[in-house]
Amino acid sequence: MNVLLIEINPFAPASPPISLGYIASFLKSKGFTVKILTLGEDTSISRAGLYRLISSFKPALVGLSAYQRTMLYVIGLSNLIKSVDNNIKIAIGGPQATFMPSTAFAELPDIDYICRSSGEVTLLRIARAIENGTPFSDLLGVTYKDTHGAVYDTGELEGFTDLDRYPSPYLDGVFDYSSMREAIMLTSRGCPHHCIYCYTPSAFKHRVSFHSIDRVMEEIKWIREKGVRRLWFADPNISFKPSRSIELLDRILTEDLDVEIWLQTRADLVSAALMKKMKRAGVTTIAFGLESASKRVLSRLGKHISAEKVAEAIRLAQSQDIEVELFTMFGLPYEKFEDSVETLEFVKKNKVKIMGNTNSQQMQIYFGAPMARDYKEYNIRPLNNNRPAYISIGSQYETEHMSHQEIHKMQDLWRANSLDGGKRVVS
Amino acid sequence: MPALQKIYVILGKQDKEQLERLCRMLSSLFSYVNWTFNLYLVTEGLPQGMPQVERIQKDVSSFLRGNLFARLYVHFIHPVPHAAMKEIDFYFQYYYQSLKRATHEFDREGYMHQEVPRLMLLPVIVPDNQVERTSLIALLDVLKSAFLLPSLYLDTGSVFLTKDEEILAKTEKVYYGYGNSRGMADIICNLYRQDIVHDSSAKLESDAAFMTDPCPSALIISAQDGMVYACIDAFLKKQGLANINDNLSVENLMSRYYEHGKSKRDCLGCRERVVDCFSDFPLPNAAAHEVGALLYHFGTLSQEAGNHVRAINSFSKSLRLSHIEEYASIYFRLGLSHTRTGHYDQALEAFNRAEPTYYDQDYFYFYTGLCYFEKGDYRMALERFSKAVRLNPRQEDLTRILIYMGTCHNSLDEYKEALVQLEKAKETAGHVKEVYSVLGFSYFQLKDYDKAIENLSRAVEIAPGSAIDYASLGSNYREKGDINMAIAMYEKALTLDPNITSARENLEKLK
Repeated sequence: MNVLLIEINPFAPASPPISLGYIASFLKSKGFTVKILTLGEDTSISRAGLYRLISSFKPALVGLSAYQRTMLYVIGLSNLIKSVDNNIKIAIGGPQATFMPSTAFAELPDIDYICRSSGEVTLLRIARAIENGTPFSDLLGVTYKDTHGAVYDTGELEGFTDLDRYPSPYLDGVFDYSSMREAIMLTSRGCPHHCIYCYTPSAFKHRVSFHSIDRVMEEIKWIREKGVRRLWFADPNISFKPSRSIELLDRILTEDLDVEIWLQTRADLVSAALMKKMKRAGVTTIAFGLESASKRVLSRLGKHISAEKVAEAIRLAQSQDIEVELFTMFGLPYEKFEDSVETLEFVKKNKVKIMGNTNSQQMQIYFGAPMARDYKEYNIRPLNNNRPAYISIGSQYETEHMSHQEIHKMQDLWRANSLDGGKRVVS
Repeated sequence: MPALQKIYVILGKQDKEQLERLCRMLSSLFSYVNWTFNLYLVTEGLPQGMPQVERIQKDVSSFLRGNLFARLYVHFIHPVPHAAMKEIDFYFQYYYQSLKRATHEFDREGYMHQEVPRLMLLPVIVPDNQVERTSLIALLDVLKSAFLLPSLYLDTGSVFLTKDEEILAKTEKVYYGYGNSRGMADIICNLYRQDIVHDSSAKLESDAAFMTDPCPSALIISAQDGMVYACIDAFLKKQGLANINDNLSVENLMSRYYEHGKSKRDCLGCRERVVDCFSDFPLPNAAAHEVGALLYHFGTLSQEAGNHVRAINSFSKSLRLSHIEEYASIYFRLGLSHTRTGHYDQALEAFNRAEPTYYDQDYFYFYTGLCYFEKGDYRMALERFSKAVRLNPRQEDLTRILIYMGTCHNSLDEYKEALVQLEKAKETAGHVKEVYSVLGFSYFQLKDYDKAIENLSRAVEIAPGSAIDYASLGSNYREKGDINMAIAMYEKALTLDPNITSARENLEKLK
């Protein structure tokens, strides 16, 4: 049986979709034939081309990754897929889907499944059900809409806590290395923290699961053999277990792998010794989350970090000549305009270049984040209550302390200080 | 099959049937356009063009409604005469507003989905030479406030507007009109050319090897005569793919288009011609630097292909347009090509300008030395070659430099000094024939004929076809009094090359 997985990001050049890669590898290991289609801003594809691709590959199941900004594309592509063959089943997964209300089905006529649990095991269950000719039987980890349009929520489905049980998309040759500029690595999943604006901890139940260092090294060596030098670690907190990150860096050094690394971690999880090792191992850029430099605002975000700690981490990185990126947001709860200016000033004072990921962005309220559920408690005022059920509040809000106009003013201020026009890479 | 990135349409007169044929073709082509696509509609003016644009926009909207993954940018290019610009309110209400009204559903959709609308109307204004600044600013303001993000098309007569920061701040993009014509075909060509410049720049930044690739997939359609063209080169050569009046199916049209794509064409040459078009246009700095960098690249390609006249042309133009930081490398390349064409004074002038950047490069001093050598200024040549040697060049370069140094000394009658350099060369590269030839000359001049014969014999051993070395051997044997060997050597030289006059004359004298 054929499964087509589609990653859509019309706002950035196409890059290897690591999450879909894992799903593809896992399904392949279970006997399915899987193809990944990555649609980036540099992808050349027409309606006729898409039609031809679906007609020739004949997938029985199509999985689409869903984000707030790509929902229109998800709906449009689903419609096209069904116009090729109405029997093709379509599942959506990813950040927008996990906590999307089931009522969204009413406005998603061509979607059959909304995946709620870990992508690999959930999609395998769907694929097997379709293969068995009973597409809506024995499902877990999804909400589905049956042939009569009735919507059902199923129980949860646990993914593996030992990530090595998932086959590697790199070692399996799921990705095309010929056009790969950098490899996105995911050595761990989840986050134990309770930041009120973030979806990740809820999606992973505040747990963190890991790959073994042996497996990570095997992948890195393979990637290097394929001629890719730049590694982009997408782990939310790669140094969550300091001993593990030290072991990883030591192994990279011992095996003399010539790599260039981007990674992100919490500012309170780095030390001078670790930073020194990072530099030697090839880390060129490190990203920290600050969110706000205002003590009053930061203390209420559930992040449990201080601006002083972040400043210290910046200095540690800069002393090793590692480029620093700083994630910040404006329009946060309890934040006044002056507070958001303080954040901008903090970034400037600490000599972090305002470009790429350091370009600040308005906080986005996505499904699954504590704030999305309890937005009134945080004095968030949505500007549009008539949005489709599959769209969350996102950026259409103002707060008790910052008007819509002030939020826009802050955005303009950041852009005016930006070195590259204000386009952020990681959203 | 690559999706069409752009379609450029020259709108015709208000011929309803022709317009319907065009709309039918465009609607069919939308299935083949990229999921993010640009449609350029060029008209002679708003009164003639607006009804046609509105008609096309209906089909665009219909396509977008049925394909939520598609995004379309409609660029509507039209002149606004000086007189009309003074009646902005009338213009806006009568023309633009009705056009904008038809996009409201996409604005709403964008708002609901927190995304930029999938249909964007982007008017491109072609102001005339009499344009009044205040009227133009007012028009730009009105358009921007209606989310009709305006661009400008400026030709040599109106490019002065780029010096106005307020106008630029209110303009989404500026297109440049090479030449001085504002006809629709010229405008289309210039828009297309500018896209090629941007595409070439992107390729130069990522991987210049892709510069031989075709430009982004596009079609040019002239609604005036119905012809469809596969690229700018085909348009300029009037080599149409098909005519929309011939009821050709879109499948057939696209199949011809893909055939054209596979055909052997000089896309690199086309890119070079396009970039060259802008070399004399008074571009503002950023655009000029982009063109300058490309001209430099094409110059290096010509240089590597041995076409130095063309390379000099490209480098000279590049110098006028490039950023000051690029000057040194351009001057250096320019110097190289002047050297190759025998213009040593110009070469030295160019090299001198590059010296502050290349002062620590051995090859720089080698090439400047070479110019002096060719000019016959051996003292200066030696000074330059010595600097090159002090900078530790690669072994093969060192040998070459030492041979030149030896030759310089020979030319200055400093044969012992020549031997010093040439013996060093022999140590570093005992297999290079030229070392022994020049050594032979030095020893001959010093009347050390045995040493000369020893070295020249080694030269002919390495290069048995070297007639001149046999001739030199002949002269050394003659001086030694070994006439038979001298005759044998001269005869051998003449067998290899009957045109060596000195060997022939010497042989006749000996016989």
